[in-house]
Amino acid sequence: MRIARFSRRNPTIVLGAVILAAVVLAALAAPWITGDPVLLIPADRLLPPGAKYWLGTDHLGRDIYARTVHGARISLLVGVTVAGLSVLIGLGIGLAAGYWRRVDAIVMRFMDGLMAIPAILLAIALVSLNKASVGIVIIAITIPEIPRVVRLVRSVVLTVREMPYIEAAVSGGSRGQKIVLRHILPSTIAPLIVQATYITASAILIEAGLSFLGAGVPPEIPTWGNMIAQSRLFVARAPWTVFAPGTALAMVILAVNLVGDGLRDFLDVRLARRM
Amino acid sequence: MTGTILRRLLSMLPVMGIVAICVFLLLHLAPGDPASIIAGENATPENIARIRTQLGLDQPVWKQFLVWLVALVQGDLGTSMFWGDPVSSLIAQRAEPTVSLAITTLLVAVFLAISIGVLAAAKAGSWIDRLVMGFAVLGFSVPVFVVGYVLIFVFAINLKWLPVQGYSPIADGLVLWLRNLVLPSVALGMAYVALIARITRTTMLDVLAEDYMRTARAKGVATRSMLFRHALKNAAVPIATIIGNGIALLIGGVVITETVFNIPGIGRLVVDAIARRDYPIIQGVIMVFSGVYVLVNLLVDLSYTLFDPRVRG
Amino acid sequence: MRTGMAAAGAAAAPAILSAQTRPPASRTIRTVMHGDIPTYDPIWTTANMSAYHGAMVYDQLFGVDDKLQPQPQMVSKYGVSDDQLTWTFELRDGLKFSDGTSVTAADAAASIRRWAVRSGTGQLMLQRLKDISAKDDKTFVVSLKERFPLLLDGFSSPSTPVLFVMRKKEAETDPMQKIDTIIGSGPFVMNQAETRAGSQYIYDKNPNYNPRSEPASASAGGKVVKVDRVIFQNMPDSQTAVAALQAGEIDFYEIPPIDLLDQIQTDPNINLINLADLGTVGYIGLNWLHPPFDNKLLRQSLLYIVNQEEMMKPTFVDRKWYAACGGWMTCGSPMENDANTGWFKGGPNLAKARELMKAGGYDGRPVVVLQATNIPYMMNAATVFAQQLRAAGYNVQLAPMDWANVVQRRANKGAPDQGGWNVFFTSSGGLSNANPYMIGGMATTGDKGWFGWPSDAKNEELRTKWINAPTLAERQAVGRELQENAWDIVPHMYYGQWRQPAAHRKNVTGWLKVPEAIPLWNVSKT
Repeated sequence: MRIARFSRRNPTIVLGAVILAAVVLAALAAPWITGDPVLLIPADRLLPPGAKYWLGTDHLGRDIYARTVHGARISLLVGVTVAGLSVLIGLGIGLAAGYWRRVDAIVMRFMDGLMAIPAILLAIALVSLNKASVGIVIIAITIPEIPRVVRLVRSVVLTVREMPYIEAAVSGGSRGQKIVLRHILPSTIAPLIVQATYITASAILIEAGLSFLGAGVPPEIPTWGNMIAQSRLFVARAPWTVFAPGTALAMVILAVNLVGDGLRDFLDVRLARRM
Repeated sequence: MTGTILRRLLSMLPVMGIVAICVFLLLHLAPGDPASIIAGENATPENIARIRTQLGLDQPVWKQFLVWLVALVQGDLGTSMFWGDPVSSLIAQRAEPTVSLAITTLLVAVFLAISIGVLAAAKAGSWIDRLVMGFAVLGFSVPVFVVGYVLIFVFAINLKWLPVQGYSPIADGLVLWLRNLVLPSVALGMAYVALIARITRTTMLDVLAEDYMRTARAKGVATRSMLFRHALKNAAVPIATIIGNGIALLIGGVVITETVFNIPGIGRLVVDAIARRDYPIIQGVIMVFSGVYVLVNLLVDLSYTLFDPRVRG
Repeated sequence: MRTGMAAAGAAAAPAILSAQTRPPASRTIRTVMHGDIPTYDPIWTTANMSAYHGAMVYDQLFGVDDKLQPQPQMVSKYGVSDDQLTWTFELRDGLKFSDGTSVTAADAAASIRRWAVRSGTGQLMLQRLKDISAKDDKTFVVSLKERFPLLLDGFSSPSTPVLFVMRKKEAETDPMQKIDTIIGSGPFVMNQAETRAGSQYIYDKNPNYNPRSEPASASAGGKVVKVDRVIFQNMPDSQTAVAALQAGEIDFYEIPPIDLLDQIQTDPNINLINLADLGTVGYIGLNWLHPPFDNKLLRQSLLYIVNQEEMMKPTFVDRKWYAACGGWMTCGSPMENDANTGWFKGGPNLAKARELMKAGGYDGRPVVVLQATNIPYMMNAATVFAQQLRAAGYNVQLAPMDWANVVQRRANKGAPDQGGWNVFFTSSGGLSNANPYMIGGMATTGDKGWFGWPSDAKNEELRTKWINAPTLAERQAVGRELQENAWDIVPHMYYGQWRQPAAHRKNVTGWLKVPEAIPLWNVSKT
């Protein structure tokens, strides 16, 4: 009953969540439901979708179905890890900056500096200057996201700090750490959850952009961005090479955004999207 | 007011200082060797070592940093390791296309986004709202290079309405200039439209929910003029913030869009420079982009005082 | 002697005028070459694009005709003494630099010296050189200590670094020091005012260029410029470049991706053209300093594993454009032979490879393969290579990175797990690769040599023998010996040979075939 009512009131969350659940399931089951995503058979290059290759093959003769499903793993891994890392790190820094004034000045200047560097340039530089690997890509996308989280958390802390119950706790003799953890932290959770969904979506997109510029994850590892970028020469000749990963990418971003929007309305968080 | 501006301008200094340190360390502590690339495929290790010495790349990193910083403070961004041109003049040559693209994109995006955002808010919950917002989310979900290729394929190759690539300086005529900018600014604007439209819609809804608006509606004041006069005025502040933050998004998108449409702008300059490790160009461009970002956000902050007198002080 | 300032000013005036008035599209050729010009000094760097730039603004003492035979270009008469030790050259009349001064023998002599330091053939000449001197304004003499049959081949070679003639003033610069002044006596003058480094390079017709009267043939004959302006546009995205060619926004594209050729061929306005018969050779560098490929048997095992066909197909699609080649020197060149190519004729043989791996004691340690991710043909070849090695039982670690990282990392002599490497991929021009001296990768001089540092005394002896062989037939014989030895020691390998066709609009004609350069003289637009 409850579930039915929740779905009726929040159709977007449910729709998004169903799509996401399906993708996650496919990603987890990838090794059992597809062939080898790395195996290449040059003789079978650029075959259209058919019985042997459900979604066709790419320019190296790799199975696009296998790569798309496996690509879900890396794309989701990148998205979720970036969101998780940037939220965790940003939360720590933001809480500290918001509560302790002395930390604030230094940290926020540093965050401003970090924010001023164009994210994609920072990421391109980090990835192309180092050996390409999923880890580097994750770090490269995470770093520019952190200041945005820090700002969000800090602004929540600043608002909450002034609340009477905090002042009461302070005058009651509670120590700083305790106040932060017990009273302030909980108020940041709702906006952070929403923010995390948007970071997930943008991380997956930035990964695609980096791949396009030749600064993404190693080409052997299938990700949707990677697949689109490597196949972009064949858009006219073999549209299926771009179609499968492109659709998957757009669908997941759409789903993540739907969940984010739904959560935002549900939790009534006004701040998150503005950061 | 002047005091505030001055104080804010001064506060830019430490920010830019941090940017300078980060960028320099990032580049010089990472692998990649411009000397090997300059020397060409057939060069001997000896030749490469000599070129490295000439470029000063064999000096300790802190020394290279000091040299660069001292020059930077004097407004000298250095010279390209490859062509020998001053970085500042390379950036100046490339500035027009990038600025043009950014401005047309911004105009297209803001105009489109605010219109559909307001429309969606006014018809909140209706199928128009859903359609418009669905489109907005979709615009956000497709990578800009995919949009770019589709646009080229349809409008330049098949319909032959617009050029495939390139940039025509304003000096060569306004029409030519615009023709070259239409496809790139639409491609780049998509994500931006999506972002601003959503914010416009939510802000508008928030404002519409405020007591005075409800009262006004209840009193039967004409909805349309209400929306634009009162609501938009109140929504201006968050929208301005988004534009400030969106500059980062725009700069990121410019890099990719310039590659797809072969626009000889600053984004291309830096992407090519990264591939070759032309350090002075990379450093110079990032400093300039960061400076623009900081400055735009400063202007946005100051614009709050215009939109909303309560913020003053 | 040199003309005065007034004449120089008068000569410079038309160039300034043309900088302000832009020639019409019908007199302008827009090209997209394979890359960006990294620097303007074609001697200082061996980068191909700098040589393309050089061919526009500088002229050569000798060119090659379409049979790759040296022919005089700036030289009018030349002769050699009976003992083959004294060469005399006379410059032809009317040669002028773009600053208005006349080209003199002193300029030529200084240019030869600077070039020689950077060129493989030039260095061999220097070892045998007694003196280069200008006898008068137009005559210079090269005197040698011992015979050097390849002198004219070196002077005329289209492979980088090319012997371009600069002013004495610039040519006396340390060859390791970059020249930024661009003053040549070639068929074009660079329009530096309108050039935008990294985006477009503009060359105007040199009004003072005085072409030879013979018809153009490769880089020999009259370099008659038939348009007012040539633009090199830098367009790294090949999809965009092909679209621009189809839309008529550019006239020539040097490297259309093979996969888009279908799309191009159906276009009635575009022609494909093959400008380099010997094409390009894919080179697999092997590291001789570290296991496993410090071991001859394990290197030999690669002969039975590497399948060039599979490495070529993903990029070059159709046999029309690529071929497998078992030769140590370019197939299709006079040096091609079939000595010691049993491994190639038999095709891949994993059983034989595993035998060699066992005999060589391969212990399962990872093979680190540097993979350049921003150069598609190298990236594809490395991906396939990894799969082939794995199938044979090698433990392969692909190390993907951009080209800038590859060129740095391959210089690292350390162990593969400490920043070094085992295998890298590159390519070289088919003409260069047909000569055991033209590229560093053919030498086996140990850790003083080129990346991979192979060391083999016999190969070095044979290379010296080759260079001193007076006739082509004798060189071919030594070539067989070289190859016999090479496929025993396996200094490096190849992943195939390809001929990348260029594409041009049909109304732009007169393209000349010169290996490793794209001449823009003789090209006209209707």
